[in-house]
Amino acid sequence: MLEARGLKKSFGQIDVTNDVTILVEKGERRVILGPNGAGKTTLFNILVGELKPSAGTIHLDGRDVTGDTVEARAKRGLARSYQKNNLFTELTLKENLALAVATASGASGWFLRDTLNDTDILAKVRDVAAKVGLSELLDHPVDAVSYGARRQLEVGLALATDPSVILMDEPTSGVGPEMIQGFHRLLKTLPRDLTVVIIEHDMDLALDVADRVSVLNYGELVFEGTPDETRGSSLVNEIYLGGRADA
Amino acid sequence: MFHQTTTKTVTILLLFIGMAIYTVFAGFYGRELVIEAAYLVILAISLDMVAGYGGMVSLCHGAIFGIGAYVFAILTGMMGISPFIALVAAIAASGLFGLFVGAVTSRTSGIFFIMTTLAFGQMVYVYTFENRALGGDDGMSGVARLDLSMIGIDTNDSLQFALLAVVFAALSYAVAAFIMRSGFGRTLVGIRSNEVRMRALGLPVLRYKAFAFGISGALAGLAGTIAAQQTMFVSPEMMSWMMSGEALVIVILGGLGTLVGAAVGAVLFVFLQHEVSEVTRYWHMVVGLVLILVVVLGNRGAYGQIEHLLERRKKGAPKASALEVAAEKDASHA
Ligand SMILES: Nc1ncnc2c1ncn2[C@@H]1O[C@H](COP(=O)(O)OP(=O)(O)OP(=O)(O)O)[C@@H](O)[C@H]1O
Ligand SMILES: [Mg+2]
Repeated sequence: MLEARGLKKSFGQIDVTNDVTILVEKGERRVILGPNGAGKTTLFNILVGELKPSAGTIHLDGRDVTGDTVEARAKRGLARSYQKNNLFTELTLKENLALAVATASGASGWFLRDTLNDTDILAKVRDVAAKVGLSELLDHPVDAVSYGARRQLEVGLALATDPSVILMDEPTSGVGPEMIQGFHRLLKTLPRDLTVVIIEHDMDLALDVADRVSVLNYGELVFEGTPDETRGSSLVNEIYLGGRADA
Repeated sequence: MFHQTTTKTVTILLLFIGMAIYTVFAGFYGRELVIEAAYLVILAISLDMVAGYGGMVSLCHGAIFGIGAYVFAILTGMMGISPFIALVAAIAASGLFGLFVGAVTSRTSGIFFIMTTLAFGQMVYVYTFENRALGGDDGMSGVARLDLSMIGIDTNDSLQFALLAVVFAALSYAVAAFIMRSGFGRTLVGIRSNEVRMRALGLPVLRYKAFAFGISGALAGLAGTIAAQQTMFVSPEMMSWMMSGEALVIVILGGLGTLVGAAVGAVLFVFLQHEVSEVTRYWHMVVGLVLILVVVLGNRGAYGQIEHLLERRKKGAPKASALEVAAEKDASHA
């Protein structure tokens, strides 16, 4: 499980993360909502260690990882996908996924064997590719596939490390409704003991998959509750749903 | 990612076999050129491993090359230690130095990385230049060559020593290619491509970069021992930043990030140097012009351009994933 308490971070005068406490149970599906600039991505950056908080603690499976490096947290099973594609652009999709699988399985230091020619690694690569719908594109370089395929790969890289907690930053941003549904299906097939935290703008998807919902606004956690409570919250409607309150 | 393609295999075989045949028919001076080309092949390959595959452009490979040469010279020339032990020690010392430089510089990138490696290189150069015990700017003579008489090879014979140098170059290519197609080599390319993502996937990136630099340093040191044996003499010139610059020119001339290009570049460089310096004293200018030409013509280098033409991938519309294809079909039916 993932426990973050009292996280603070400011850029200059602006408090981007202001005393955020978020406790996610093992196997929970947590959706994080909030308007643009609310500090959602910053929260992820702090959770994975890409940003250091000025205050607060982070525990992963009961262990304090607040001082740990990004790679140490990843080794403990914390994976993330990025809002802006952050891929190995000039490599093929297969090579991308193989790098993730090899790193997670400790094969990245192999001297005598080729990770791109290993049956176990390739089986895992194909497995992940099938999950995120990229089986046909494995031999194409990233810069030769569509934007949608890159979004799928973004999630695929995180999944390929076999994480126990996965943080996904707007995995469906900028893709069409079919791909959003595809992603929806993917979420349903993920192992039940995998902890999933998603930043999501698509409200229907968010409320359908979430066990609980957290809402950030101006760096503060202003609401937390079940999907039903979220639908019924006037506060959430006001700051997030806006005009769509009674839709 | 590195793949030992047919293009690579054919080119590298032709290159080494060509060098060997040339050696047999060449005179003493021609053989000297072959030896120079051979150790430059090794140095350039070692630089390509970190610069081409790891994205770490080093300006201290000349110094590491010099460390290999000097350790070999000190142990054989000054201390009379067996050249075999000296060879191993020289490779180990340059590897350790590379590891150290790599560990210190791995936090930096871009211009800062380059300048830090330059600083390390200059420190080694200045230390050697000023150290009277090492002969200072006069250098040091009396370097021994490997004794291979028990397998019937006379390393004091110019033909046999030149052929031995080519064999070392070929072995170095084989080792480098083997490493680049291993899990470690793949990881190195991942770091060059996207260091942030590698870290997010759980890789201790700094450690890997330092280690890659150490391996590369060991190979550069081996090149230095061959240079020291060729003239049986070492001087601080070998470790000046000019040497590092030359190695970089060679790699770019042949094709960065291809390994074979580094080897082709070294041979091309020695050939250019020799042929042009017969005609004009300004041969560096000619090499400079060729370099500019290479960069302007697409930056792939002589071998890199050939590989690009032979293995060019078909360009087309971005490949959509199955879901998007299905979505488009639905849309056109509706
Ligand atoms: N490195 C940075 N330096 C300065 N300001 C930053 C930095 N990163 C983010 N910010 C600011 O912090 C605020 C929160 O940014 P963040 O990216 O976390 O928002 P978000 O909730 O993810 O928004 P979006 O929905 O647009 O992705 C914004 O005002 C942003 O401009
Ligand atoms: Mg964001």
